[in-house]
Amino acid sequence: MKKIALAIALAFAAGAASTAQAQEKSIRISGFGAKSGVVRSFGINGEAAMLAAADQINKAGGVKLADGSKARIVVDYYDDRCTAEEGISVIRRIAGTDSLVAVGPTCSNVAEPLFGILQKKVDDKGDSGLQMPVFTDVAIKVGLARISEWAFRNVPNEMTMYSSVFYWLRGKHPQAKTVYGGVEEDFAHSRATWHVVMKDRATANNYTLLGESKWLLNDTNFATQVREMKKANADVVAISAHPFTTCGVLKEMQRQGVKPKVLIGLTSSSSMETMQGCAKQAEGMIIPTSYAPVNKEAKAASDATAKFKGSADLHSMAAWENMFILKSVMEDMKISGAKAEVQADRRKIRDGLAKLRTTPGLLGVNSRTEDREADKPYLFVQAKGGQWVVIHNPL
Amino acid sequence: MLDLLQSASDGVLYGATYALIGIGFTLVFGVMHKINMAYGAASVGGAYLGLMVLKLGAGLPVPLVFFGSFLAGGLLGWMVYLACFHFIPLSSPLATLMSTVGMLLLIDEVIVHTTDGMPQNYPALFDDVMLRFGEFTLRGDLLLVFLVSVACMAGLLALLYRTRLGLATRAVSQQAIAAQLCGIRLAQVNVTTFVITGLLGGIAGAMIGAAVGTLSPLLTTPLTVKGLIVTVIGGLGSVPGAIVAGLLVGGFENVIQLYRGVTERDLYVMLLLFAFLVFRPGGLFAPAGGRN
Amino acid sequence: MDFYFGLAQLIGVHTLLGLSAYVVLLTGQVSLAQAGFFAIGAYVAAMLTVLAGWHLVPALGAAALTGATTACAVGFPALRVKGLMLVIATLAFGEGVRLFFFNFDYQIARGDVKVGPLGGEGFRQIRFFPENGWTTLEVMLFIWIFVLLVMALLWWLDRSRYGAVLRAVGEDELAAQSAGINLTAVKVSAITLGGAIAALGGGLYAHYATHIEHLSFGILLATFAIAYPIVGGLASVFGTLAAVLFVQGFLVEGLRDLGDWRNLLFGALIVLAMNLRPRGFLDAGNLRAIKRLFWGGGRGAP
Repeated sequence: MKKIALAIALAFAAGAASTAQAQEKSIRISGFGAKSGVVRSFGINGEAAMLAAADQINKAGGVKLADGSKARIVVDYYDDRCTAEEGISVIRRIAGTDSLVAVGPTCSNVAEPLFGILQKKVDDKGDSGLQMPVFTDVAIKVGLARISEWAFRNVPNEMTMYSSVFYWLRGKHPQAKTVYGGVEEDFAHSRATWHVVMKDRATANNYTLLGESKWLLNDTNFATQVREMKKANADVVAISAHPFTTCGVLKEMQRQGVKPKVLIGLTSSSSMETMQGCAKQAEGMIIPTSYAPVNKEAKAASDATAKFKGSADLHSMAAWENMFILKSVMEDMKISGAKAEVQADRRKIRDGLAKLRTTPGLLGVNSRTEDREADKPYLFVQAKGGQWVVIHNPL
Repeated sequence: MLDLLQSASDGVLYGATYALIGIGFTLVFGVMHKINMAYGAASVGGAYLGLMVLKLGAGLPVPLVFFGSFLAGGLLGWMVYLACFHFIPLSSPLATLMSTVGMLLLIDEVIVHTTDGMPQNYPALFDDVMLRFGEFTLRGDLLLVFLVSVACMAGLLALLYRTRLGLATRAVSQQAIAAQLCGIRLAQVNVTTFVITGLLGGIAGAMIGAAVGTLSPLLTTPLTVKGLIVTVIGGLGSVPGAIVAGLLVGGFENVIQLYRGVTERDLYVMLLLFAFLVFRPGGLFAPAGGRN
Repeated sequence: MDFYFGLAQLIGVHTLLGLSAYVVLLTGQVSLAQAGFFAIGAYVAAMLTVLAGWHLVPALGAAALTGATTACAVGFPALRVKGLMLVIATLAFGEGVRLFFFNFDYQIARGDVKVGPLGGEGFRQIRFFPENGWTTLEVMLFIWIFVLLVMALLWWLDRSRYGAVLRAVGEDELAAQSAGINLTAVKVSAITLGGAIAALGGGLYAHYATHIEHLSFGILLATFAIAYPIVGGLASVFGTLAAVLFVQGFLVEGLRDLGDWRNLLFGALIVLAMNLRPRGFLDAGNLRAIKRLFWGGGRGAP
C-alpha cells in the first residue's frame, strides 16, 4: 500500500513539476508524437526540428508580443506512443499548461481521436470539446483536418503529388500504360493513399489498372502477393506501404524477378528507414516528397536539425516550417503572451492560422485550403546508391 | 492448380520459422508447465545482437552473424529465466505469465531505443537461389530454414533421449517432485532448459531475419501469436508436433490468402485453431496420458 | 485540472476492463477474450448513439447485453479447454473479433458526410459527450458511477455464496466438482458477467476516444486486461483498481517526465513488480493489515 501511495504522490508531483517554470518572458509551444515503437524516429526528428527552429527564432530575438516586448519560444515534447489513449492524455496535459499551440501528432490513428475531442466548430457553445489549436506536422491521412475547426495541418497533399507523379510519368515513359498496386491494408494512412489517392490519380491520367495486392502491417511473407503482381506484368508498380513491408515486398520482387519499368512508393517511405532496410532492392524507386535539401534554406534547416540529433525529412521539416509559420501568426495576431491570457491567445492563433492562404516553406510557397489543409510544393526523389536523389522538380 | 501447389509450398516452407518458435514454447511448457511469453521477443533480440557482429567487424562471413545470434539467444534465454522465473514461486503461474509479458515489452523497447525503430537489413544465405521446376519455384533461403529446423528438432530429440541431461529434463517434466527426490536439481534443469531454448531461439531469430530479410520490432508480436498457436495445434510439450503444426499453419494461411485475401486470412487461422481445440484438444501429437 | 479528469476517465475505463478479467480469473481461467468483448461494446454503443441517435445510457445497456450474450455463446465451447489451451482459444476469439471489425463496413449518409464504421479506416466522430456539452468533470463522474457500481456489485458478489463458489472453482476444480458444484455453469456465468463488464467499458471507451478502429483492440489490450487483476492481486476488487492506477497513472502518465526512460521502465517495472509481489499488490495478508489499520485489530480475516 505504501508503494501505491508513493506512486500516486510521484505521479502528481511529476505532473505539477512540468507546469511550474517561468522566469523571463517566454511562450510555450508543445510538440507531441511517437518516440517509441517502430515510429520512434519520427518523434526524434520532429522534436529536433522544433528545437532547432526555436533556437534560430530565439537567436534572432524571439517573438514580438502585443505590447512590443519580445518573448523566447520554449519547446517541450511529449511521447504519445502512437496510441489514441496517450494522444488524448497528452493533448489534455498540454491544454493544462500555458502552452499556446500543439504541434503533432505523428500517427493518423492518433490524429483521428485527437481531432475528435477538439471542439468541432468554433464558438459553438453547446460543444464542450477542447479548445486548443493543433498544427499537425506528420499525420498525413487524407482529409483529417475537416474533423475540427481547431485542427490544422501542414502535411503534403497526396492527391496533388500523386496526380503530378502519374502526369509526369506519361511524358517520361510514354510506353508505360498499365499500373499495379500494392497496399498495406490495415494501416489507416497507407490504405487511404492507395484506395483513395493513387488508384484514382492513376486512372485519371489514363493508366489502365491491372489489379492490386494487399498485405498487412506486420506481414513477412509476400510470395503470393508478388506472384499476383508478376502475373499482371504491369509497367508501373505503385507500393503504398511503410518501410518495413515495402522492403519485404521489394525483396520478394527481386527473388521472383519482377522488374517493372517504374516503381512508385509511399511518400512516408522516402526516408532513411527504407535505405537502412533495403537500399539495394529499393534502387530506382520514385517517391514524391515535400522536402529535399535542394536550396540554401533547406540545407540550413537540415544542418540546424542535425545539431539537435535529428535528421531532416518531409515530416520533420514540416515541424520546422510550422514553427516559423506560428511565429509570424503570433506576431500578426498580436498575442499578449501573458499567462492569464492563454486561452485568448490560443484563440488568436487559431484564427490567424485559419486566415492564412499562403505560408512560406522550405521548397517555396505553401498554399492553404479552406479545410485547413496545406498544398505544399514537392519534388520527385529516386533511390540511387543508398541515397534519395532529386530527379525532377515539377514546379 | 499450380497456384494452389505453389501457395501451399511457399507457405509450408515459410512455416518452418513458426515451427522454430513453436519448439521453444513447447519445450519450456513441457519442462515447467509455464508459458514464456518473452520467447518470441528474445529470439528476435538474439538476431539483433547477432547483427552487431556484422557492425563490429565489417567483412566477416554471414554464418558468423548466425552464430552470434545463436549465442546471444542463449544469453537472453538465461536472462529471461533469471528475471522472470527464478525468484517467483512455482505456485504462481499467473505471476510468471505477467513477468514474461513485461519482459516482452522491455525487449521490444530496448530494440526500439537502440535502432530508433528503424528496420535493419539482415543478411541471408542462398537468398538469390530459386529452385525452378518449370513454373513452380522454391526459395533457396527458405529451404535452408526448413533444413535447419529439421536439424534442430533432430538435435533436440537426441538431447532429450540420448543424454543424462535429457533424462533429467524429461523426469522433471513428468513429475517434478519425484525427480527432485531422485536427486535432480530442479533449478539447474530449469535454467538449462531456458538456455537451450534460448540458443534455439537465437537460431530461430537468425532464420527469421534471413527469411524476411529485415529485422524490426514489428516481428515480435505476430511471432509470439503464431508460435503459441503452433504450440497448441501441435500438442503442448510435443516437439515433433510443433514442427508439423508450424508447417501446417504456414501452408494453410497461404492457401487461404490465395482464395480469401489477406484481410480474412488470420480469421481462418483462428477458426482452424478453434476447430482443433474443439475436436482435438490434445493437439496433433497429444502426449499419451500426460498431465495437464 | 481537466487533464486529471481526463486521466481519471481513462483509468475508469481501464478499471472496467480489468474487472471484467478479474471475474473470469477468480474461476482460475485466464481469458484473452476481454479485448474482444470490449471492442464489441465499443462498436455497439457507438453505432447506437451515432447512427441510431440513442442516448448513451440505453446504448451502454445494449452494449453490455451484447457483450454478455456473445461471452455466454463463446463460453460454452471455449471453456471445454483450460490452462494454456484456454488462453490461446480466447486469444483466437479476441483476434477474430478484431478482424471482424477490420472487415466491417456500415455507413449511412448524414448531410454531406458519411458516418459509421468503415473497416480499416475505423469509426470516426463518436462525439456524444462534447455534442451534448458535457464537461470533462461530468464525463469523469459519469464513467465513475459505472465503475463504482460494478465494483460494488463484484465486492458484494465476493462476499456472497456465489463468490465463494467462484473461488472454490479457481482454487481446485476437482474438489469443487466433488462438492457438487456445476463447473460449466459457474465458469460460463463468470465469463458472461465478464463479457458484460468489458462491453460496458468498451462503450464508454468509444465515447471517450471519439474514434475507434480495429488496431485499438489488439493483443496488447487483451494482455492489459489480464495484467490489471494479476498485478493487483485477486484477493479483492481493489487490487485491480490499484494496478490500473499503477499502470495508467504511474507507469504511463506519472513517468512521462522521464522521457525515453519511461518506455524502458514500463516493461522493467512490471517484471520487478511480479518478482516482488508474485501474488499481486493486494493479497489476503495486505487486506487484513489494511482492515486492522481502519477498523482496529479486532476481527480476523474473512
